Amino acid sequence: MIDVLIIGGGIAGIETACSLQELGLETLVLEKEKQIGGHLNNWDTLFPTKRSASEILEYYAEQIRKKSITIYLNTTVTSIRKQDDGSFEVHTSREVSFKSKTVVMAHGFSLFNAQRKEEYGYKIYENVITSADLEQTFKQNNDVFVNPMGKIPERVAFIHCVGSRDEKSGNHYCSKVCCITAVKQAIKVKQLSPQTQVFCFYMDLRLYGRGFEEMYREAQEKWGVQFIRGRLSEVAENIDGSLQLKAEDTLAARPFKMSVDMLVLMVGFEANKSTALFHNSCGVACSESRFIQPRHHHLSANATNIDGLFTAGTSIAPLSVFDTLNHAKAAAFAIHSYITK
Amino acid sequence: MDTAIHTEKETWGTYQKHVADDNYYYARSCIRQNFFPASEYMFLHILRKVLGKHVYDDPNHTTCTGIGYHSDIVPFETIQTVVARHFALMTEAGLENIAISCVTSFGIYTEILETWQHFPEQLEKTREFLYKATKREFNLPKNIAHTSDIIYKFRHEIAEKAVYKLVHAQTGEPLNVVEHIGCHYAKMFPTKGIGGAEFPQVLSGMITAWGGKVIDYPERRHCCGFGFRNYLVQANRGYSVSNTYKKLESMQPYNPDFILTNCPGCAMFIDKWQYTIAEMEQKTFDSQGKGIPVLTYEELAALVLGIQPWDVGLQIHQIQSESLLDALGIPYDTALKYVDKQGNQLPLPNKPNNLLQ
Amino acid sequence: MEIDFCAELEQDVRFKEGLKACMNCGICTAICPAAELYNYDPRSIITSVQLRNNLQIKELLQSETIWYCGQCMSCKTRCPRGNTPGFIIQTLRKLSQQYGYFTHSEKGRQQYAIKKTVGENVLKKGYCVHPDLVSYDMHEEQGPIWEWVQQHKQAIYDRLGANLDKEGAGALRKIHKKNLDELQAIFDVTNGTELYTIIEEESKKQAERMNLGFSDNIDNEYFKHVYTYNSNTHSE
Repeated sequence: MIDVLIIGGGIAGIETACSLQELGLETLVLEKEKQIGGHLNNWDTLFPTKRSASEILEYYAEQIRKKSITIYLNTTVTSIRKQDDGSFEVHTSREVSFKSKTVVMAHGFSLFNAQRKEEYGYKIYENVITSADLEQTFKQNNDVFVNPMGKIPERVAFIHCVGSRDEKSGNHYCSKVCCITAVKQAIKVKQLSPQTQVFCFYMDLRLYGRGFEEMYREAQEKWGVQFIRGRLSEVAENIDGSLQLKAEDTLAARPFKMSVDMLVLMVGFEANKSTALFHNSCGVACSESRFIQPRHHHLSANATNIDGLFTAGTSIAPLSVFDTLNHAKAAAFAIHSYITK
Repeated sequence: MDTAIHTEKETWGTYQKHVADDNYYYARSCIRQNFFPASEYMFLHILRKVLGKHVYDDPNHTTCTGIGYHSDIVPFETIQTVVARHFALMTEAGLENIAISCVTSFGIYTEILETWQHFPEQLEKTREFLYKATKREFNLPKNIAHTSDIIYKFRHEIAEKAVYKLVHAQTGEPLNVVEHIGCHYAKMFPTKGIGGAEFPQVLSGMITAWGGKVIDYPERRHCCGFGFRNYLVQANRGYSVSNTYKKLESMQPYNPDFILTNCPGCAMFIDKWQYTIAEMEQKTFDSQGKGIPVLTYEELAALVLGIQPWDVGLQIHQIQSESLLDALGIPYDTALKYVDKQGNQLPLPNKPNNLLQ
Repeated sequence: MEIDFCAELEQDVRFKEGLKACMNCGICTAICPAAELYNYDPRSIITSVQLRNNLQIKELLQSETIWYCGQCMSCKTRCPRGNTPGFIIQTLRKLSQQYGYFTHSEKGRQQYAIKKTVGENVLKKGYCVHPDLVSYDMHEEQGPIWEWVQQHKQAIYDRLGANLDKEGAGALRKIHKKNLDELQAIFDVTNGTELYTIIEEESKKQAERMNLGFSDNIDNEYFKHVYTYNSNTHSE
């Protein structure tokens, strides 16, 4: 029987595995994709340092090699069942199942599908993209920054809170990292295309983390990014493919329309589909947000209502890379305490 | 862009709405009766004679008072009780499905049923009021549909029996059609409108089924501007015409051949305001100075089924439809345009100064 | 004694449905047709009401502001907190009439015109709108074809399959007296009649204050004034 079975080979799962190895416990990581790293594989740079995401991935690839962490790729977990003796049996998409003393759910999150916000025109109007799409564009490292129709944009607008803080999308919570991501991406657009006007449409600027507020100031002072306090109501397409936005500048108490050449939707986090699957198979408690509910928000943030079943990373809530790695390290400590008691 | 196809794939699953397939209680519309009486006649004709359905046309049905309610002269308790009276009439007639002709009414019935779900004490109070006033009692209806939902439901059956398609008779090219959905159809309760509030399917589905091409344009979802008190009082009418002006200006670059709407008020306003704008500003939004014809969906269904245009009631629109009929290859006899039921010639209406007829 | 408008608003079921909590995002004002054209901002009104300040609410009830909304409910579709400014407007208009404040504003005074036309039509004929009501001289914007319809009503409505003012079923049929009696009874027990009475009485007082002729029928100076007068100060 393995000490710890870790579901998910993203940075949370890998960090938990590395920390557990240092504490002397035996782990096994199951990853559904054909490579480790999860969402981080899709990102260009990280806030607030603007350093490449691949730096983190390379670090963990090296750690896995050094510590000889065992990882099964292309393996999707289909059920978790707690046994009478307190251990766990985990079934997968492969013929083989596993028995372990503990299980860590590090299966991460899904991005909000922007098509559900029909009035924003994603996958309807060509020049509407998501922050994830934009990050891919940045990774391609093109010489000239153009909109999806191939034109150098005169105006780009970033829309905060897409699929978050929104009863209509079914997600009341804040996804926490989209504000800083918008600031980061807005700066990058200005770097690549100084003549492009860049606007961020926000309700509140949630720049809570180390270095975040400073980046906001940099966006304004150094790069001339404009911030408009008003939530986007509707997008329509003009006959030339540009987009007509309707919002209110709430600080001036005036509704207005603006035409832009490119619209970037800051899509939020949603609970991964696996969360519902795990809830159904072993009864792990979920919050109203549909993410996994920690046993105690402050004092036991990696445990769940089921003894021996732990979480690490964004399976519990929207988190930054900074928060995720800390949560994962804490998970290792909590699991070690549990197993050695 | 092809709104109809996109939303069928992505959102249709979320916004499925059940529409009953027979045995309707017909709730007539004040505005449709006034301005498009032949449309209501055609709805009954199409349902009964063409589709073989049962529709009860109750002489005891009255206004739901919706226009008064949204102008704030009719209290919420009053309109709940008036609506309850209609439910009592339905119950008496043994009917559970209501077919509502007015879009404001549709909004009212839907809003009231939602309120009764969230606040059951309102339902109890209404039962008391109705009994006290009229000694009537009622069951809640099982199915609420707008009459456009029903025509949408049977659009393929109508397409099979259709004599004309929404294409240019000469070239076979689909007509460009702007669809305008009444605000109270889906904006209040998106799950109660076919296709939801952003890309409603009820009219685009008809247009596509009958061969036409749906046009998207920036102000597609914008209110026509009725605005209740903003039209009813002459001093406020600038609001009303400005909203329609905005829509017309926005759709002009896309060269619509006609506008289709499911709300009788919208049909009346978008028709009449084109006249008003032409007279006030010497401006129309088509290339001929005649205006863009506005049709109700009953008129369109009747036309494609081959019913004669003057029976369909097109002669009482201010924007004339002859160019559209010519494009569709639908024949018409000008001599019969302004005759009475017996075929006697009536005096001709005056012509506008600027709008060409 | 000060009126607790907040308490009264909170009794109204449309207030409970219409205002949960507003976060001032502006999505309602962004899409509102009245906000485009008038000095009107639904977001401001909602946050004002949310402050639960009776003095501010009283000011609103006496203002032009609450009368601009066209009740399209575009706000309801989009609000991320599930609020409906359009419903709150209805609750404010109700209180404004109940306490006679509606006569303080140019737009509010127009309630008299609506009561005399649509309001009385509902009880007299059983329709909100009837060809007799939409006379061409009060509705020139309807155009010459409507003028023609008005001039040959019976013939034209007959031609188009209606049953104008006749017994039995059909469009624009004469609604039987027993139905009109039921409607009247409903208005009586649900305070609909009371609202009509308030509108008449308060408007009569206002007509006196403005030195304008007033009468029971529609043909009076005050009616003509409120129906047609626009100070043109509503879109600054």
